[in-house]
Amino acid sequence: MKHLSLALSLAASLAFPALAGAQTLNVATAGDQNMVDYIKDFLGPMFEKANPGVKVVAVGTGPGDSGSQKIYEKLSAQKAANTEKWDFDVIVAHQKMAGQMVSEGLLSKYRDRIDTGKLVSSATAANALGTNVEGFVMPMFQSQTAIAYNADMVKTPPASYAELQDWAKANPKKFGYNGIKGGMSGVAFAAGWVYAFGGDANRLMKGPYDAATKGGWDNALVALKAFNQNAVITPGNAGTLDMLNRGEIAMGPVWVDMFYTWMNDGKLPPNMKLKLLAPGMPGQPMYYAVPAKAAQAALAEKFIAMATSPQVQADGIVKKFNWYPGIDAQHLQGKLDDATWKKLFTDLTPDDLSKNAKPFPIAPYFNDILESYEKKVAN
Amino acid sequence: MTRTTSLGFLLVAPALALVAALFLWPLGYSLVAAFTDGGRLSLVHFAKAHELYSTDIVFTLVIVLVSTALVGLVSIIIAGVLTLSETPWLVAILRQMYRWPLFIPFIVAGQCMRTFLAKNGLMNNTFVSLGLLDPSQTASLLDWRGIVITFVWKQAPFVILMLAGAMASIDRATIEAGRNLGASRPRCLVEIVLPQVAQTLMVALVLSFVTMLSVLSVPMMVAGSQPTMLTVDMAFRINAYGDYPTANALGVISYAMTAVAAWFYLRHTVRQQREAER
Repeated sequence: MKHLSLALSLAASLAFPALAGAQTLNVATAGDQNMVDYIKDFLGPMFEKANPGVKVVAVGTGPGDSGSQKIYEKLSAQKAANTEKWDFDVIVAHQKMAGQMVSEGLLSKYRDRIDTGKLVSSATAANALGTNVEGFVMPMFQSQTAIAYNADMVKTPPASYAELQDWAKANPKKFGYNGIKGGMSGVAFAAGWVYAFGGDANRLMKGPYDAATKGGWDNALVALKAFNQNAVITPGNAGTLDMLNRGEIAMGPVWVDMFYTWMNDGKLPPNMKLKLLAPGMPGQPMYYAVPAKAAQAALAEKFIAMATSPQVQADGIVKKFNWYPGIDAQHLQGKLDDATWKKLFTDLTPDDLSKNAKPFPIAPYFNDILESYEKKVAN
Repeated sequence: MTRTTSLGFLLVAPALALVAALFLWPLGYSLVAAFTDGGRLSLVHFAKAHELYSTDIVFTLVIVLVSTALVGLVSIIIAGVLTLSETPWLVAILRQMYRWPLFIPFIVAGQCMRTFLAKNGLMNNTFVSLGLLDPSQTASLLDWRGIVITFVWKQAPFVILMLAGAMASIDRATIEAGRNLGASRPRCLVEIVLPQVAQTLMVALVLSFVTMLSVLSVPMMVAGSQPTMLTVDMAFRINAYGDYPTANALGVISYAMTAVAAWFYLRHTVRQQREAER
């Protein structure tokens, strides 16, 4: 009976979303299932409780940049059709597409209107892979790649890409990463390699773009091809973690949040540790934004203000999902228990992060790196 | 047009419309996208596909050909045992078991193989605990070998199903005659049974070849991405760059591979029809 009523209410809410509550807030999120779960199971119920009569509907558009691409296509189509009220009220998108949406006037400049807007000062809140997005976005979280290693097998982990190169030569097939087609941790590793050996890394992160720059990466890519001979190419982000878990490799690049989640679930040996390689490895935020003609703009801003409040960032983003907070970390002090705080910053200290946590390259250089890798390393 | 033909046309119209909308239109669209650049005929996308993915093109072809050959070999052996064996319990067990992989989707097979074939995976751990291997001798099969193993495991039952059916329907007197004259069972299989079912085997292998060429999940889950199969490259081209023309060019290259297989298949069906009409 319980199942039947549950099924009926599910069917009803699918068929008549507008009738389900007086007001419906449509939240579209790119990213993996955990992003949808976070909105549906954590933020949604909390917001509905605080605002009786409001129903939060979470829509997932799929992982990676292609998920953000779908959100962009929908908004862009509604703009082109001169639709009065757009379907999405809150969107959660990656950097590459967020920049494009801002430059095409698809987003509203809402950040100064919410209280939590002044709690964020990171560079990524103002600049998304080369596009100025100041005021249009709030970082939901900051995610970071780092090298995970088995402390029993690796006593002194390499501290830089150059040291890693020597280490892999001395320990063949003990370093593994997923290339560039199996997920973003491998892409981040390759981008970091070009930062380290390809010349002016700052220009890749900040621009201006020059199509000739990629010609200067040849030596770096030849070295990466040689490096790959001593490395294992793993099947995917999770493939790297799997191999670390089974002890088949001793070291590999991972997303920090996935690493901690797997550690909590007991899917990695307890002696695993993290290390950020110098001169830096990329990470990325996801952004909260409000479309320019959202039907429930005021409600959407209220939702984002709640989602970026220190307490929610502490409980949801840091404690539940092991991401780094989107707002500045000092605002979370006192909101988190000591154990959680220490765990998040034990292996990678705030100092490491400020020195070696880098953004991804600006969009055109990003594509150049991927394609040069395909041309010179993979083929 | 007479009344019956127009009625007949009406009856097939929905099916034709579906084929046109869901197959011919996208096919034409992808061909146009692959061969044009800025509205003009051009081969730049093929040049790019060659420049970036020549290794993967060869890799794909080799993987699929090797898998097809192994599928053929395994199927002949198992179907031969099913038809010729005189050990009832062996036939009973084989008959029960060989179909199982048919009901398992490629992606689930990929997921299972990913942990089964790893260096410290289920298979090697079993060998180690049985004392057959030393932990230091184990090797990971999660590369081209893993893809081939998964393909053979998944496609062989399909070919066996068709082949065992064809073998069951041939005249048993031919086999008995051979046995009476002293031919061994393997010799009966190769010289008497196989020639009679060769056409069926070919059709089954052609269909397997085309199926394996189009699988995305297995190369993605079982092996790392260097080198990888064309399906993975097409997905990456679209997801990472939104570059449909080069993805379409890669698609045309795999059409070319399937076209060769399709030619064999069509030649066979046409010949069969002619024989039926005689």
